[in-house]
Amino acid sequence: MNPELLIALTIGAALFGVGLYGALSQTNLVMIIMGVELMLAAALVNLVAFWRYLHPNEISGQMFVLIVMAVMAVEMAVGFGIAIARFRSRGSVEMEEARELKG
Amino acid sequence: MNAEMIFLTFFGGAAVWFGIVVFRTHSMVRSALALLFSQTAIGAMFLVMQAEFLGVLQIMMMATEMSVMAIFMVMFMMDPGGLGAMDMTHQKRLSLWAGGVGLVAALGLTLGVDWGPAALSVPSASAQIEMLGIELLGRSMFIFESAGLTILTAMVAATMVAIAPQDKGGAK
Repeated sequence: MNPELLIALTIGAALFGVGLYGALSQTNLVMIIMGVELMLAAALVNLVAFWRYLHPNEISGQMFVLIVMAVMAVEMAVGFGIAIARFRSRGSVEMEEARELKG
Repeated sequence: MNAEMIFLTFFGGAAVWFGIVVFRTHSMVRSALALLFSQTAIGAMFLVMQAEFLGVLQIMMMATEMSVMAIFMVMFMMDPGGLGAMDMTHQKRLSLWAGGVGLVAALGLTLGVDWGPAALSVPSASAQIEMLGIELLGRSMFIFESAGLTILTAMVAATMVAIAPQDKGGAK
């Protein structure tokens, strides 16, 4: 049994649950992005915990963390780009009003 | 319980608590600040787990990211100060269920798997950075360059989406 790893993974699970709730329950695009950020942060915690407590000499574990951080930056950039375009054309970033995007 | 477990629990608890505050407060600036504190607590967890480079990177990156996010929220929200106490949620019951199921599934995996013994020794901070540099410029170079190119593409795409379309009809 590895108590430190269990603590870190439990926190990762809690962050994922909170992020998933936020991403699904919020109506504003920026708040949805916040939920996704929390879910990605949960993935970061898990990756660092796996690296530290299971394979500290395999540095590719940290490489995965850098990739997830890059994904977070890309998600924010694209999300805000869409938010600006949406705000300009419709005057709002409320997703309740974006039903025309539904296929 | 050793010091590492105490600090992990403290910073982890802070990260989860501030994560909950993000969706509980009506003020959007408070939401962005709560997310900043949550991400900073996660960076502190990295420092506790002796990933110094990643911890400092996380704190610096998130401080910038959340500052930008706070500006965007003030720009785009209908009630950024939260004075009107508007309810900006929908499908709350479904979301709670989905979040709960995600939490329970992840916890089940965490507790159900035999993770094996913990590694006792960790390379020093300078050794980690040296190994990471060799990894980035060696075996993982293609992945690293792909990530850089993806960020560049996203920056260009986000700028192109965000700029106002030209009124071609008016130019004639």
